[in-house]
Formats: sequence, structure tokens, C-alpha cells
Amino acid sequence: MAETILIVDDDPDILELLKMNLEPEGYNIRMANDGERAVQSACLNPPDLILLDVMMPHKDGFQVIEELKEIEHTKNVPVILLTARGQTEDKVLGLDTGADDYITKPFDLRELTARVEAVLGRTRPIKYINPLMHAMGDKFSEEGLQQLAGHLQAAAAIQKKLLPEQAPSLEGFDIATLLQSSTSVSGDFYDFIPLNETQIGLVLGDVKGNGIPAALLMVMIRTALRLLCHEEDSPASILKRVNDLVVRDTEADLFATMVYGILDIANSTFTYSNGGHCYPFHWKNHSEMEVLKTKGMLIGAFEEATFSSNICSLSPGDILVFYTDGITETENGNIVPQVSSIGLHKVSSNNPSTPTSAVQGDALRDAIPMDMFYGGDRLAACISKNAGLSASTLCETVVNDLTLFSGSTNSHDDRALIIIKRDT
Amino acid sequence: MNFETTIGNQNISILHVEGKILGNAANAFRTEMNEQLQTGRDKLVVNLMNVPLIDSSALGAIVVTLKSCQQSGGKLVLLSPQKAVREVLEVTQLNTVIEIYDTEEGACAAFI
Repeated sequence: MAETILIVDDDPDILELLKMNLEPEGYNIRMANDGERAVQSACLNPPDLILLDVMMPHKDGFQVIEELKEIEHTKNVPVILLTARGQTEDKVLGLDTGADDYITKPFDLRELTARVEAVLGRTRPIKYINPLMHAMGDKFSEEGLQQLAGHLQAAAAIQKKLLPEQAPSLEGFDIATLLQSSTSVSGDFYDFIPLNETQIGLVLGDVKGNGIPAALLMVMIRTALRLLCHEEDSPASILKRVNDLVVRDTEADLFATMVYGILDIANSTFTYSNGGHCYPFHWKNHSEMEVLKTKGMLIGAFEEATFSSNICSLSPGDILVFYTDGITETENGNIVPQVSSIGLHKVSSNNPSTPTSAVQGDALRDAIPMDMFYGGDRLAACISKNAGLSASTLCETVVNDLTLFSGSTNSHDDRALIIIKRDT
Repeated sequence: MNFETTIGNQNISILHVEGKILGNAANAFRTEMNEQLQTGRDKLVVNLMNVPLIDSSALGAIVVTLKSCQQSGGKLVLLSPQKAVREVLEVTQLNTVIEIYDTEEGACAAFI
């Protein structure tokens, strides 16, 4: 959704000029021709930014700022003042009053758009963390909010560093992880959250969308999960709450898919819920691959999303496999693309990686044209064929298989993989 | 990916897509749907009969358009998705919020 800028000036020519220049940049423009109307308009529907003339009859720019700062839902709206050349006092007073920046008239239009973007860029993270603020109550001060916004921006830049450096070591389980990042900022993430002495929360997800908003969504989801996983017992309730939290403030095309589950090492069980993510695999009893299907909506797209939880028991030697679509959508590097789109290609009988399970079966084989993409089927086959290996060697084996399939060690998309194996 | 939009009875737009909707193609897909909405046609049938595969960008385009349609009182329905696409819609549970039809008649009847 485009950001909204409220322009306030008593000179209709300047209003038009600003509108003409800012609208093509993709902003929604609202206009007010005096201070009183500006305050009314901002209160009624707070814009993302206000461009405010200082010298106006009746109510000047400073008074407008003061009034807006008094009102709860307008006090955080950034303001850029439009001041006359040489009025240094105005600038100082403006910044003291709480303006975020100023531009001197007559202004250079390129400078104007640059400053508008700079101020929006600084304040944008605040919007994305607002739902988190609500969730955490009144614990944060205004200062804390600014600080948190700063931290979040830094976090977005180094988001990959938020991922656990190494898989946790749990008695009786062998855990390995893999994350290959493509060049984009957003993407795959995972986290392990110790819940108590015998339980650990696990999340693997994929943020869809691009740029800083997507990176921030990832940080937000990760933080929300870390807070909520101690408040709710059921993975479905946790996903529901994460969804409720992010759906209000994310844009429609920004969403995530994820699996959240609780690994109980005392009972050797895994309780999980799925928010529109690729179904995990469970290699069990040394003989069959089960697809862990549960119903659950994408995270952050719809308010009325529902989720369900499921549980599976892990016997010695059992393996859980979590992955993102960057793995299954790895393209075949050995074929001519046109041939592949004609139809679905069945696994040939001499293919040594034929899956061993009927559950795995046709649904997955048909889900992704096998000759074109790596697919869940081939991943499941690779795991079952090499189920005797350790978790980390198994991860390496999958990577090698992907390289073999694609003919390249590079990937267009992020790839994440978690393998959890119960010791034999 | 190619597409063609035909306007049927009751001002229903039918968007016939051919080919995979992946990456940048999803932007064109989204723009085309958006153009229909911009011109006031918010009864939209997306014919996926000839689409072998879609990715998350295409899903994003569908989600955004679905929401826009709902806001304006219109509707977006899908026609004849292939198995791979159906599977994606099922995994993401979009099949619970978007009506899916197997015939054009059925899809168009959804707007009555």
C-alpha cells in the first residue's frame, strides 16, 4: 500500500507543485490549505508524513505540530517543515518543537523527494514494530521505541546473524541445519527456542516479499514467537497469535509461511502446526516416509486464519526433515526448459532414488513436475536412501544432490534445511 | 507466460493465463488483474488450466487481488488449476478463502 503524505500550505500553487512531484513517486497525496484543516485531516486518518508550511494565517506550522504532538495517534507522524529562506530561527524552533526535518523555500524538487524518502525510511520501522509494542504493553517509553526502531533497522541489515550459529545439542537427538542465502535481503529463517528442560521450540519459515519490510517481518515474527512460545502450549495457538499480530500491519503481498513445533526429548514426541509451509517429512521405523500434513493458512495474509496442531512419536533412528521451497524448487540444470513444461514426468524405474513409501506417493510426485524441479519427492527419496547417516552428513548429502540436479552450486532462492534424527 | 483477458456476461473478466507464473512474470500477472479492477471490473475469473506451476510471487499477486476484490465488493475465483498449482493452494490453505471451479460455467455462476 502506498504511503500517504499530507501537504499543508496556504498557497494553492505550492500544493499543486508538491502533489505533481510526489504523486509520480508512488505516494498518496492529501492536501490541506490551512493549519486547522491540517490537524483535522491528520486526526481523522493519520498520514505517514506531513509536509507543513510554517507561515500560514490563523494557525502556523509550529502550532500545528504542537497540537499533533498532544494527540495519541498523531504524535508519531513525522513532519517536514517548509520554511522561507534564511529563517534560521524558524528551523531551530521547528526542530525544537518536534519537526523531523525542514526544507527551505524555494526548494529543489530532487532535494525534496530525497528528504521525504529519508524521513519515511527512518520512521518506517516504527510502523512495523507497532503491533509488537501493543503485544508487550506499556513497558516501552518513547525513547525505547526510537531505540528499538534503530535496533530493528540494524537487525534487518544483519538479519542473517540472528539465526542460531549452530544447532542446539540435545541429549538423544542429532540436529543439523543448513542455510544458503541468495543475494536478496529477505528470505528463509529458523530458530530454536528452549522452553524448559525437556522441550525445545523449533521454527522454520520463509518470508515472501522483498526488501526491508520483508526483513522486518522476519525479525518481527521471530521476536513474536520468542515471546509467545512461553505463553501458549499449543503450536496452533502460537501461530494463530503470531498471525493476529502481524496481519494488521503488514501489506497484503507480504506474508510468511512457517512450521512451528515442540520437540519433547523426554517423551520423544514432536507437536507441530503449519502456516502454509511445505509439509515436513518424518522418516519412521527405518522404512517409511510420512508427510506431516496439517492445515494452516499463510501467516500475515488473512485475519480469519485458522491453524491446527498434530503430534508424532519419534522412535530411535527416526528423522524429521524441515525445508523451504528454495530446495524443492531448485531447477534442473540438465534439461532444455521447453521440454519440461509439456507434462509430468514419472520417476523412471531404474532411478535408484525411488521413494519407499506409499504415503509419499502420487500427491507429491504430481505436485511438482519432476523433470523440471527437484521436488519434495526427490528430497524424500534422498533422505530415505541415506537415512543411516548422521544429521550433518545427511544435510551435506542433500546439498550434493541439489548440486548434481541443478548443475550448479549457486541457488536463485534461499535454501533452508533442518534435519533432526533420534539416536539409535 | 502469456495471458489474454476476455469480458463475458455480466461484465465478468476472464483472465486466461498460459505458462508458468514465476518471478517477474508474477508482476505482469498482478498488473493485468489490477488493470481489470482499475476499470471497475471486480468480478474476476483466473483461468489456470494452462499453468503448470506458480511460485510465491504469484501467490502474493493472488492474495493482493483477492483482498482488493473483497474490498470493492467484487470477487476473484480460480478456474481449473492443475495438480501442482492445486497442491500449492492446498498447502497454503488459499483454497479455503478462494473459490475454485472446474468449468467456466461454474466459475461464472459464482457471481450470480
